[in-house]
Amino acid sequence: MRTGLARDLGIGLLCLVALLALPVLFPHPSLRDFLIYVIAYGLLAMSLNLLVGLTGLVSFGHAAYFASGAYVFGLLMQGGAVSIPVAMLAAVGGTALLALVIGAICVRLKEIYFSFITLAFQMFIHSIILTWVELTGGDQGLRGGIPRPPFLGIDLGEAGTLYGFCAVVFVLCLLVMRQVWQSPFGYTLRMIRDNPARANFLGVDVVRMKLGVFVLAGIMASVAGIIMALFVSGAFPEFGFWTTSGEAIFMIMLGGTQVFLGPVIGAFLLQLLNHYVTIWTHHHGLVLGIVILAIVLGLRRGVADYAAAWLAERRAASRPAAVPGPAETPAPAETKAVG
Amino acid sequence: MSNGANAIGRRGLLGGAAAGAAILAAPRIAGAQAKVIRVGMPTVLSGRVAILGTSSRTAVQYAFSRMNEAGGFGGRTLQLVERDSKGRPDEAAKVTRDLINNDGCEIIIDGEASSGGFAVHEVVRDLPVLCVHTNSETSSLTADPKLHVKTAFRCARQGIHDAVAGGVYASTISKQRGLKRWMTCSPDYAYGRDNTAEFLEFARLYDPAIEVVDQVWPRLFAPDYTENITKALQVRPQAMYSALWGGDLVSFMEQSNLYRLFPNVALFSSSLGDPPVLTAIKQLPPGLHTAYRYNRTYPDKPDNTAFADGFAGLAKHEPTNWAWQNYVACQFIGEALKRTNGRTEGAALAAELKGMQISSGLAVDEKLTMRESDHTLIGYPTAWGRTVPKAPFVEDFAPIAWSQILEMETQWKKQKGYA
Repeated sequence: MRTGLARDLGIGLLCLVALLALPVLFPHPSLRDFLIYVIAYGLLAMSLNLLVGLTGLVSFGHAAYFASGAYVFGLLMQGGAVSIPVAMLAAVGGTALLALVIGAICVRLKEIYFSFITLAFQMFIHSIILTWVELTGGDQGLRGGIPRPPFLGIDLGEAGTLYGFCAVVFVLCLLVMRQVWQSPFGYTLRMIRDNPARANFLGVDVVRMKLGVFVLAGIMASVAGIIMALFVSGAFPEFGFWTTSGEAIFMIMLGGTQVFLGPVIGAFLLQLLNHYVTIWTHHHGLVLGIVILAIVLGLRRGVADYAAAWLAERRAASRPAAVPGPAETPAPAETKAVG
Repeated sequence: MSNGANAIGRRGLLGGAAAGAAILAAPRIAGAQAKVIRVGMPTVLSGRVAILGTSSRTAVQYAFSRMNEAGGFGGRTLQLVERDSKGRPDEAAKVTRDLINNDGCEIIIDGEASSGGFAVHEVVRDLPVLCVHTNSETSSLTADPKLHVKTAFRCARQGIHDAVAGGVYASTISKQRGLKRWMTCSPDYAYGRDNTAEFLEFARLYDPAIEVVDQVWPRLFAPDYTENITKALQVRPQAMYSALWGGDLVSFMEQSNLYRLFPNVALFSSSLGDPPVLTAIKQLPPGLHTAYRYNRTYPDKPDNTAFADGFAGLAKHEPTNWAWQNYVACQFIGEALKRTNGRTEGAALAAELKGMQISSGLAVDEKLTMRESDHTLIGYPTAWGRTVPKAPFVEDFAPIAWSQILEMETQWKKQKGYA
């Protein structure tokens, strides 16, 4: 058992309790809706950060897996032959297969070439969604709603239950990603991010490692897509458009790449800004652009990364000055796991 | 879930989340304002098709101000609360839920384009307030019984009605002038392809001599149509049908003028008749055939002219197709509220709207009908006319009999398994 696993499980449980308690303390349906939205997009951003922050692979096409999860789940539920858990597993499995095929091609490329081939695959999938009208509904999306028949006594047609279900799935996904983040696999990915040649010399199969995290990120994005499909009771081609990938990158920029929960914080801030700015002005693009510009130019990193660095500096300053011995020499900043 | 280095950051996150939750939980509007009926409108107010939302909003504001000045309903007045969905269906679903749950809206006027309209439709299935779709032209929204929602109605033109009307009109002209060689130029997405296929199906039904010699599909929002225009010059069709719309249609027309395409080819357009498109084209060629979108001279009724003047006074431009649809939706809602004496329960208003007939300046005959069987508008203008270079830009409107449209619609529904 990994050191800190029990602590992570405990913190995960506390997060879940907090998420479940919020609608009880503030019983307003709009808060529930807002949190489901943050959960879905937060999970998308977190999954993308496995590639961007952990492995150094900037994917411009991550929304393809978000859309894949939503569409496969929606189509299976509309077919009426399977229950929600089976449809979820099939959507996740199907997306994993899709990510495996696409990833096997993409992870062999580096830097901007990797980014653009992921974008190309996303646009390919988006085109399929638009043109395969009989299956996907084309630009109108999946019509007629997504049925939510009760399973194991759980009725997702009830708004409170749907929220609770989304919260549980979200925390479970966070725990899975946390285990990867802190595992030897996660540290190997950091090494690949910082120096792939060195990792290769040390005997790491770089392509295989990258492919593994690519598939995992796709799986997590598909869960986010399923949550969104359940919430809006539909799936739409916009889920797989490049702007959705861009929004996830925005969230990561806003929240930070190195603190584990940074992307969720980014998702929360972006959705909060979006919610209130949209109410008060139709020039939301301008306002959001200014806010993000201020953060990028002012903080030069995400909010959570900035806060973590600031706290670390304060702690260091408050400690009595001492000459570090060899055992106390800090690890290089590049390979340090934060959060 | 962090190590010691950012434990406080996590506490900060939780604190921030709680603070955010508190902000969100506090209703933005203090309490229920019993005297005001809040009507929510999710629509597209930013981006390339913002005029869809802005003209819809102005039409509703104009209609509400008139109703409120007339005394309201059972002592209650109407207030519009609009939200920008940015053209994203998931955002449309979210803001609609928010309008109902947070802003206390008791009625929804759905000013979304098609895909957003389907998303709003599903929200209303969950939260059954009265919803009137005002901008979605996709027929299946109300024609497909599987999609039926008890409190949802459509007050907008729709694809199948336009296809029949276009087919009847085009076949009449083609027979008169011997237009046998046809070409199409429509945007490459589901609406463009479906609309074109339906137009051709009905045109060939009434004139089997029509032959399609070529079809080109420029991508949506393409800036350059030179390739498509030169193709038309090579193919030399006698007539062309186009489902291009908005800015794309303006660009296509301007570029076609450079090649003098349309003095030699008869153009039939589904969307040229929208006043913002007509006024945006610098040199509008005369004699082009277009479906009615809106025109202050048709139907030639004082109420229509009054609407055009009232709307133009607020918006500083002529009404759009979306404007009249929203205005008429308000007239239906107003009549339903009058009959319920201001009660806004979705089921009560829906019961009144089913089969409702109202006198309107936008009716082809005397009345517009909200058809009981599928909750959709009939009796609105589906005429085709010809362009002239100066205002009112389209004239000689040739009405298509609604009996003919309804007969073909019934057959179409049977083919699709809807009836």
